[in-house]
Amino acid sequence: MTESTQPAVKDQIREFIQENLASVKGISSFRDDESLMDNGVIDSLGIFRLVSFLEENFGVRVSDEEINPENLKSVDSIEQLLIAKSKK
Amino acid sequence: MDFAWTEEQAAFRKEVIRFARTELNDDLERRDREEEFPFDFWKKCAQFGIQGLPVPTEYGGGGADTLTTVCALEALGYGCKDNGFLFSLNAHMWTTVIPLMGFGTEEQKRKYLPKLISGEWIGLHCMTEPMSGSDAYSLRTRAERKGDRYVINGTKTFITNTIHGDLFIVFANVDPSKGANGVTGFLIEKGHPGLIVGKKLHKMGLRTSPMSEVALVDCEVPAENILGKEGSGQAIFTHSMEWERTCILASHLGMMQRLIETCVKYARERQQFGQPIGKYSAIANKIADMEVRLETGRLLLYKAAWLKSQGRHALREASMAKLYVSEATVQTCLDAIQIHGGYGYTTEYEMERDLRDAISGKIYSGTSEIQKVIIAGFQGL
Repeated sequence: MTESTQPAVKDQIREFIQENLASVKGISSFRDDESLMDNGVIDSLGIFRLVSFLEENFGVRVSDEEINPENLKSVDSIEQLLIAKSKK
Repeated sequence: MDFAWTEEQAAFRKEVIRFARTELNDDLERRDREEEFPFDFWKKCAQFGIQGLPVPTEYGGGGADTLTTVCALEALGYGCKDNGFLFSLNAHMWTTVIPLMGFGTEEQKRKYLPKLISGEWIGLHCMTEPMSGSDAYSLRTRAERKGDRYVINGTKTFITNTIHGDLFIVFANVDPSKGANGVTGFLIEKGHPGLIVGKKLHKMGLRTSPMSEVALVDCEVPAENILGKEGSGQAIFTHSMEWERTCILASHLGMMQRLIETCVKYARERQQFGQPIGKYSAIANKIADMEVRLETGRLLLYKAAWLKSQGRHALREASMAKLYVSEATVQTCLDAIQIHGGYGYTTEYEMERDLRDAISGKIYSGTSEIQKVIIAGFQGL
């Protein structure tokens, strides 16, 4: 993953969250920097659905230690996690 | 795909069965009746290396992968009929040892893992509360920060291993306004002021495994007792549950195999209307169904364990394994009793105890209904 792919990655993350996690809870929009845990979009099960999506679509392994609110709270933080993992 | 155990795993499995049969069955009928936990079994298992199986060798563990671990647990369930004891063993491993490994600081690991592996200490976690079971993160226990310490208040119930427990992982919310993201795990040792083990709860099954309430009354602990970070309780609990749901019913696979073998032997020997009852399709079909359930359960449980051995997440697969194997074991116990008729209903034949024990598998570690919620949740429902 490179810096130039960022918009596409972010779009994919946002689209997955909107279609699979937000819409079923009646939430139609959210900002990229908005905490999706505070607004109820991502719950305990949603975290693992999100992790499965990231692992399957971006070929990364998200460790148990990385599954925390700091990394997964918003579209921006999820994107940052992917960028950080791609640099390792 | 490779569906065979390696030579080493197969040999280990045989050794576990021999150990379990000879060392872990004494006086079970009385102990079940009197609800007595077998401390000597705990020590023997530790000496054999069970408690530390999945723990890295640098902490004194066996360094086994998840598949090898479930191989051993299945063998334990086959050789040991004390399902309550095996439940206590599992609770210790998946709700204390594993979260410590995953989220503990190096200091916490060095301090606690050797004692938990050696059989010196028994571990447990305290999550469920009178008003929060399936909706676990709505817990009411609070941890209020005061300087570099936390003061914990709340009540826990249906807690396994409490009466003999040495290390408690207590989940409390440090900031209710954050909801589940305020849930935090705290390491608290037995005898700590404010940590009170309450009345023993008597159960239908798993009677050799102690269970009780726990109260936290102005229980003050230093900030370094936090497991992981403040607010990481949800991740810790889910991590524990993924492991537990993958592994805890491996012993039920062993139990089902033992029951099938008992039924086959009985169906061949028991004569009615001039021939063995196994010659009647009514009996033979039951045994065929039992076989299919066992093999299906193995496939689901081994798949979840294989994923974890690969370092991958298996929350969905673990839920499938837990749901299926727990339900399959109850049905297998019922079939075994039915095949044995009046004998099967007696305490002497031991199947009624297996049934009482097996029913709890549909409740602990997330009810069957909750496993279905998780499985459907992965489909966006």
